[in-house]
Amino acid sequence: MSRKISKVAVLGSGVMGTGIACHLANVGMKVLMLDIVPKGVDKDAPAAQRNAIGNGALKAALKAKPAPLYVKRYASRITVGNFDDDLDKIADCDWIIEVIIERLDIKQSLFEKVDAIRKPGTIVSSNTSGIPIHMMAEGRSEDFRKHFLGTHFFNPPRYLRLLEIIPTADTDQGVVDFLMNFGSVVLGKQTVLCKDTPGFIANRIGVYGMAKILELTEELGMTISEVDKITGPPVGRPKTGTFRLADLVGNDVIDKVMKGLKQNAPHDKMVADVKMPEYFNYLVENNFLGDKTKKGFYHKTGQRDEKGRSIILGLNLETKEHEATARPDLPSLKLAKQIDDLKNRFKAVFNSEDKGGALVRKSSLALFAYVSQRVPEISDHIYPVDDALKAGFAWDLGPFEYWDVIGVKEGAELAKAEGYEISDWVEKMIANGHNAFYKMEGGKRLYYNQDSESYEVIPGSEEAIVLDAYRATSVVFSNDEVSLHDIGDGVLCLEFTSKMNSIGEGVLRGVQQAIQITEDGDWTGLVIGNNGKNFSVGANLMLIGMMAFQQQWDQLNMAVKLFQDTTMKCRYSSKPVVVATQGYVFGGGCETLMHCDAAVVGAESYIGLVEVGVGLIPGGGGTKEFALRASDSYFDGDVKIPTLIDKFRTIAMAAVATSGTEAYDKGYLIEGRDRIVTNASLNIYEAKKEVLHLASGYVAPVMREDITVLGRGGMAALYAAAHSLKLGKYASEHDIKIAQKIAYVLCGGDLTGEQKVSEQYLLDIEREAFISLCGEQKTLERIQHMLEKNKPLRN
Amino acid sequence: MYIVKAYRSAVGKAKKGSFKNYRSDDLAVKVIEYMMEQTPQVAPEMIDDVIVGCANPEGEQGLQMGRHISARALGKVVPGMTVNRYCASGLETISIAAGKIAAGMGDMYIAGGAESMSMIPMTGYKLAPSYETAVAQPNYLIGMGLTAEAVANKYEVSREDQDEFAYNSHQKAANALANGYFDKSIVPVDVTEVWVENGQRKEKTFTMKQDEGVRADTSKEVLGKLRAVFAQGGSVTAGNSSQTSDGAAFTLVASEKMVKELNLEPIARLVTCSVGGVDPLYMGIGPCAAIPKALSRAGLSLSDIDLIELNEAFASQALAVIRTAGLDPSKVNINGGAIALGHPLGCTGAKLTTQLIDDLERTGGKYGMVTACVGGGQGIAGIIEKL
Repeated sequence: MSRKISKVAVLGSGVMGTGIACHLANVGMKVLMLDIVPKGVDKDAPAAQRNAIGNGALKAALKAKPAPLYVKRYASRITVGNFDDDLDKIADCDWIIEVIIERLDIKQSLFEKVDAIRKPGTIVSSNTSGIPIHMMAEGRSEDFRKHFLGTHFFNPPRYLRLLEIIPTADTDQGVVDFLMNFGSVVLGKQTVLCKDTPGFIANRIGVYGMAKILELTEELGMTISEVDKITGPPVGRPKTGTFRLADLVGNDVIDKVMKGLKQNAPHDKMVADVKMPEYFNYLVENNFLGDKTKKGFYHKTGQRDEKGRSIILGLNLETKEHEATARPDLPSLKLAKQIDDLKNRFKAVFNSEDKGGALVRKSSLALFAYVSQRVPEISDHIYPVDDALKAGFAWDLGPFEYWDVIGVKEGAELAKAEGYEISDWVEKMIANGHNAFYKMEGGKRLYYNQDSESYEVIPGSEEAIVLDAYRATSVVFSNDEVSLHDIGDGVLCLEFTSKMNSIGEGVLRGVQQAIQITEDGDWTGLVIGNNGKNFSVGANLMLIGMMAFQQQWDQLNMAVKLFQDTTMKCRYSSKPVVVATQGYVFGGGCETLMHCDAAVVGAESYIGLVEVGVGLIPGGGGTKEFALRASDSYFDGDVKIPTLIDKFRTIAMAAVATSGTEAYDKGYLIEGRDRIVTNASLNIYEAKKEVLHLASGYVAPVMREDITVLGRGGMAALYAAAHSLKLGKYASEHDIKIAQKIAYVLCGGDLTGEQKVSEQYLLDIEREAFISLCGEQKTLERIQHMLEKNKPLRN
Repeated sequence: MYIVKAYRSAVGKAKKGSFKNYRSDDLAVKVIEYMMEQTPQVAPEMIDDVIVGCANPEGEQGLQMGRHISARALGKVVPGMTVNRYCASGLETISIAAGKIAAGMGDMYIAGGAESMSMIPMTGYKLAPSYETAVAQPNYLIGMGLTAEAVANKYEVSREDQDEFAYNSHQKAANALANGYFDKSIVPVDVTEVWVENGQRKEKTFTMKQDEGVRADTSKEVLGKLRAVFAQGGSVTAGNSSQTSDGAAFTLVASEKMVKELNLEPIARLVTCSVGGVDPLYMGIGPCAAIPKALSRAGLSLSDIDLIELNEAFASQALAVIRTAGLDPSKVNINGGAIALGHPLGCTGAKLTTQLIDDLERTGGKYGMVTACVGGGQGIAGIIEKL
């Protein structure tokens, strides 16, 4: 039977319930969200009162940041109700998710009602993080138990990629397989198959790891800011490090999970051995729980120093006072700053002699030992453990991958020297001469299967195109900033390899060359895409800045021309060019996107023409493209100016779309041409399919000579709009100067009447405007500020 | 130049109020028909012209709305025109009627204004200024909120004073509603709404007869929490600005000859009406340019004026005008103003005239003044004598 899910019931409208409901709405589900009727509300009271809890939660979600919905209008896909009046409506739903209070008895009684109402075959799941899944199914019908399992989302559900799938012994394998795939392809999550063990995978490993760092912090006599710095980006983990993360999650939650593990997993010796430090208990006892109580390891005072920065105090672990923290000064931190490559950086920090190195080394070795012992207890294989930690805690590498960096054998020996026990299967693996948990082979990434004692392809990963896997064998061409891969079926993929995937001369020449190779050879088409966190942060500002500061106008003109020629080559290539994006798609990255035949956009793509922030206008064809798109939207009798103002504002305010869907609204994406994939790890695969689809009968577009521009009539309206922004203090003098340049290009210059112009004409005036801004002192100040501080300057 | 009758619709909240789907031409027809019923001596064909004020005469208010209103309310033979002086339109039309009568060009006019801010955006559908203006005089093109900020800064009107003014406007308006001060001149209008709910066609009819904008329960604290909406770090908020509204108001203006011939009972006389220009950046101070002109034409001084309706486009400009022109605050807007009661642009002048005549009668006053600032940097002041 092919299962379809289009209507989902979410039972419970707390932060998680609402977040899950919103994400289901994001991906196109019709959602029914129920909660209890507020106490004291009459049976005959109007629906608005009886549904007040759910309504309130949805209203709060619309204001929450980061936004749980791709666009606010998707809230209309969520119907709010209550358990008393509307529970019978779950009979129409294809999937029922329980997200109510973490009390077994209450959950059981709700499931009893659900069992009576649901249609046979409907999937029922719980989002519990602490209650064993099988206990909730006790006493339920056979059909219920066959279709019941745990589906554990992480907060916030839209943004955190992990979805743990936890079947019981009774759960139908078909249901498990379906949700593993549905969670990945439709919900865009990293689905991880878990066993019904305490804390499942992510919390079990993650909280143990955190507790170990807390213990080591005391042992090594380190400060919380030292620990947060060294356990953050230097080792490929989020900026929140360890203590800041604890404040964010809530110290009470961590305490509860840790106590739960100690109680429910009594055989787990490493958990039993770890001792929560006294300073941690002090915080919990004094209700210093973190962000929710405004005070935890850190205390945001709400005051500002003389430079206007907010004053944040940190806990002195010895005196237990919150006090000003000193800037950490660890040799390992300095060392880490010099190393770009994560794996080399981690290794260097791991081997550092100072206490920063000791913390990373000792905590990593404990983690290695711990995960070795947890397989197969919590997971039959190693890769779910890595996937869970990467997707749930935003680590760049999972525990076994960190271990691979050190070497399996070396890591095991060092761990044993620390007194930890390494599980037998790892010992055996080493004895058999395997010194890596993962390896690349034939364009695929393989994991070590401890049962078969061999390397196997990760199931379900067949469709994710991992460019690393092609690196060794399938590179067709490369330079310092790009690699061109053969990803099969006659399709090439151009990967940016520059820092932050910024676009400099190497990328531009690389794109041109890649298109040339595609056109000249026996290739079907080209995908431009990469597996980086961000597709591209935009043009290499350093390069433009250098030429601008040295007033090399001819070189600058040539550089901008190269940019324009490159995007135009994407547009007018004789073979299809499709872009695949994720993360930041800024400036030149956005211009590249707009000029391809189609875009396959990860839902979490943040697309925007942000050039105004550095005192420039989009100069790689972006401003021209907005003029063209405005022109294409005009209809007979259209007054045109509102459309023009809308396009103008988007560029002049450097508006970034906060989701792929919003990028349609902002005019960066075109309905019908570009499409969104919820799971960004499938974007290159889908882009490749798009190339193959477009390739049959592909005809390159004809250069445009028919772009309607409004001339000075349009400019007047845009000037007026810009002037109001200045008076309202939303824009500075210089912003207005830039805005007027944008207006000039969008309107085709100060023509006295409306007329049709060519793309090349618009590109020429766009380039001229760009270069003229490079001669402005305030633009140079903005560029310099961005290069030095990585933040836009308002001047 | 007598005002024989003056009626208005209740004022609806734009976009969410009772008139959100009620066209302003339809509303005008209702008010004029009602006025004619109250004046049986006047036959439709006696009306020389219908003069309709409207600030955004396009879209639903396009097609020369004045003519459509005259033909529908009074018959094909009665002509009609549309007049635009933005927020002064509804008073300007009365002034035009009076002027025509004084010049001997006619005897009887219906003059007033109608506006649906629910339907027509404030800047119209196509903002298309002159390139020369945009380049050389961009201040001529700015939104009204920014002029209110400019006035607040130049005339040093504090946020607290603006909020207090807004609070008092609501309090006074609530008092007026409670006492039914407006009821006499409000034309009840039956509104029928048809909509779809849960796939079902639904219909309801209700009578709209009370102004909708008043918030009796607002407080200075609530107003103080609102954010500035027009400028970063500014002081002009949604709470201390006028409300966008829908409404219609009309007067019957007649010559002395007609009054006598038909034995009409005039309620007031338009003594004079003046307009003046100011810097468009400080649009809100406009009344200060018009008030002295009107007083001088009328041969009166401020102390002769018993009551003043000063249109509250924004609290900042109303306060700046009161202070600069030296108006006695106790005479100004005794029933609150546009901040509480709404400001249906082109209708407002006639609506305030209607209210002022009623208030003069109720309080036993003789002279009253209607004054307003006008977009683009103008002011209007009309002096009314209660008969």
